[in-house]
Amino acid sequence: MVRRYCKAGKMRQGFYVGRVTYAMLVAPILVLIFLFFYVPVGLAFFWSFFLERPFGGGSQFVGMQNFSRVLSDPVYWEALRRTVVFMIIAPGLAIGISLVLALAADRGLRLSQAARNIVIWPKAVAGASIGVVFVFIFNPFLGIFSPINDLFPGLWNPRIDGNDAFATIVVAQVWNGIPFNFVILLSGLQAIPDMLVKSAAMDGAGSWRRILDIQLPLLTPQLFLTFVLEFVGTVVEAFGLIDTMTQGGPGEATTLLIYKIYVDGFKAYDLSGAATQTVLLMIFVIVMVLLQFRLEKHVKYER
Amino acid sequence: MKISFLAALALALGAAVPAANAAEIEFWYGNTGRVEEAIQNACEAFNAAEDTHSITCVGHGGYEAGMQKAIAAYRTGEHPVLIQFFDAGTLDLMLSGAVLSVEAIMPEVAWDDYIGGARSYYETSTGELYSQPYNGSTMIFYANMEMLGEVGVTDIPETYKGVVEVARRLKDNGHACPVLQRVHPWFSLEQFSARHGEAIASNNNGYGGLDAEYTFNTGLVAEHLVNIAAWREEGLFRLPADTPAGRNGFNAGECAMLETSSAAYGGALAALGDAVGIGFAPIYEGYERRNTLIGGASIWVMKDHEDASYDAARAFLNFVREHDQQIAFTRHTGYVPVTNAALETLKASDMADEPEFATADIGVASLNMPGDANSRGIRLGFYVQFRDVFIQEVTMALNGEQEIQAALDNAAARGNELLRRFEQTYQGVELP
Repeated sequence: MVRRYCKAGKMRQGFYVGRVTYAMLVAPILVLIFLFFYVPVGLAFFWSFFLERPFGGGSQFVGMQNFSRVLSDPVYWEALRRTVVFMIIAPGLAIGISLVLALAADRGLRLSQAARNIVIWPKAVAGASIGVVFVFIFNPFLGIFSPINDLFPGLWNPRIDGNDAFATIVVAQVWNGIPFNFVILLSGLQAIPDMLVKSAAMDGAGSWRRILDIQLPLLTPQLFLTFVLEFVGTVVEAFGLIDTMTQGGPGEATTLLIYKIYVDGFKAYDLSGAATQTVLLMIFVIVMVLLQFRLEKHVKYER
Repeated sequence: MKISFLAALALALGAAVPAANAAEIEFWYGNTGRVEEAIQNACEAFNAAEDTHSITCVGHGGYEAGMQKAIAAYRTGEHPVLIQFFDAGTLDLMLSGAVLSVEAIMPEVAWDDYIGGARSYYETSTGELYSQPYNGSTMIFYANMEMLGEVGVTDIPETYKGVVEVARRLKDNGHACPVLQRVHPWFSLEQFSARHGEAIASNNNGYGGLDAEYTFNTGLVAEHLVNIAAWREEGLFRLPADTPAGRNGFNAGECAMLETSSAAYGGALAALGDAVGIGFAPIYEGYERRNTLIGGASIWVMKDHEDASYDAARAFLNFVREHDQQIAFTRHTGYVPVTNAALETLKASDMADEPEFATADIGVASLNMPGDANSRGIRLGFYVQFRDVFIQEVTMALNGEQEIQAALDNAAARGNELLRRFEQTYQGVELP
């Protein structure tokens, strides 16, 4: 982690004079964060202990009742299970594929310069647009799998088969995640001193050996960063894809926690239920990130 | 000096008197596309005809988005005087304490003239109309008469027995999608139960109090869904998921018959032309036909505004009720007239035979069928959430993951939990 070189008394050595200037420079963003993050989060905590009527008036304190109801609801646990499965599969694939692409691009294969550019393009497409496109691609009657349906009618139909629908969301999320991961991992690979790889090669290490023993260990900071971002991203950013592709269905097959909160709070005006789930989701994300930062102890930043 | 000051004051006051009675109000609505155009036309016409008041009509891109913004606005005291809201949220607004009933603020209006199915949906258990029906639709039955003609059928079937017979003939003739059927509860539960006079929940679908419980899982609905599953196996009924064009299967010419909203008529007419035939939604034999429920939305009056704003709101509500305004709205959108008088005016005019008005007659007739205590409407808490629950459970059943009966039992049990929580949320509030 970053070491603190300057102690409190040595602040004056900085670019600006006096604490007020610093405070004023930081204030705008702090105010924004307070207004648009801490206030809503605080309100969600508050509402999770109340039964809240949408138009206000007559909200009543119910203690932990909202939590016990949500936590005893099998539908909630199913959504949590799906979220965890999604959190494992989608980042795993998104980072795995990006890593393969980055290693290939880094080796300076033919056309790798062009590939570097092309792989980044999808980053410019918004999640919702990706969803719309994938709905067409996976259309059971017109899409790429329609020949399968011609042979075995009804085998592929994400409109009614939950597993098929879940798979389409995973594919879209992975496709969406590859460009950014690719950029991060490729820049990490290129920052590895050439001489390490070259001297390993002179010592007779083959390309697999060099990847496993030199490139991957030196890439751990970038791998860690992509994992953290992907984990959080799959929890909160899959929303756009789900909303455009499946609206949580068929059945509940693609109702992840984040989508359930949206539906309960914004479509059904169940403010207390949605607030309770928001608090639980926040706790879940915080726990996941803390676990990851325990992992970070094994990450070496020095080269 | 003093005199001129007083004169100026008097002048200013004199000028201010009419201004104090004039009001600029806002009306929030959710529709888009052609319906939005029709609403904006009505607003422009109102502003052109009115010399004291004016209205600004603000679209929010959807009923739900409009409601969310209204909730936020009401909590901060920035809410509009008039807001349009859709059928399923009626109970939320009735209990919100944020609205005034239209009958209370406009006792002089002949509310009895509103068509039966529309009145009953938006009125209290004691018959007080809370909101003014605006864009009203209902469920009707569509048939592609060319396809039916190919198998020698010239009349649109009125019972499920008849529908199935026609569907078998179509299937034997090689037709891939005789009937397109959706499982959304608006189709397979609400409109279905209403026109059969069956309750979906106790207390007459909740009109009698917040302690209602779902009962549909033991009634005719269970039988109907089992039938739909069997008919789907047989290849007579198709879900949107089973057919390439999905929900547009009828307009795309894939499916021959469909029950859906009268508001879909414009699209069907544009796609299929003269081949479109419409009739009453089918019923099972042995049942007396009851009214179908109104779909679409109504206009609500919100609390905490100036008297002048309510004058403006009254003027606007009266304006959109005028016969030529209703007829213009119907022509532009395919929604039905919502007062009997407007329908009579339409029928008496030479416009009655124009294709744009074909649904008005049959839609209003369906809404005006004799009702009973179970065909008034739905007054159940967290109903929007329940709709999702119903879709989830029934979809899983139709995908073979559980039995139909188990799906309905689950949906009813989960729905009852929602009802109990809703009851607790509104503890101490009397259902009007």
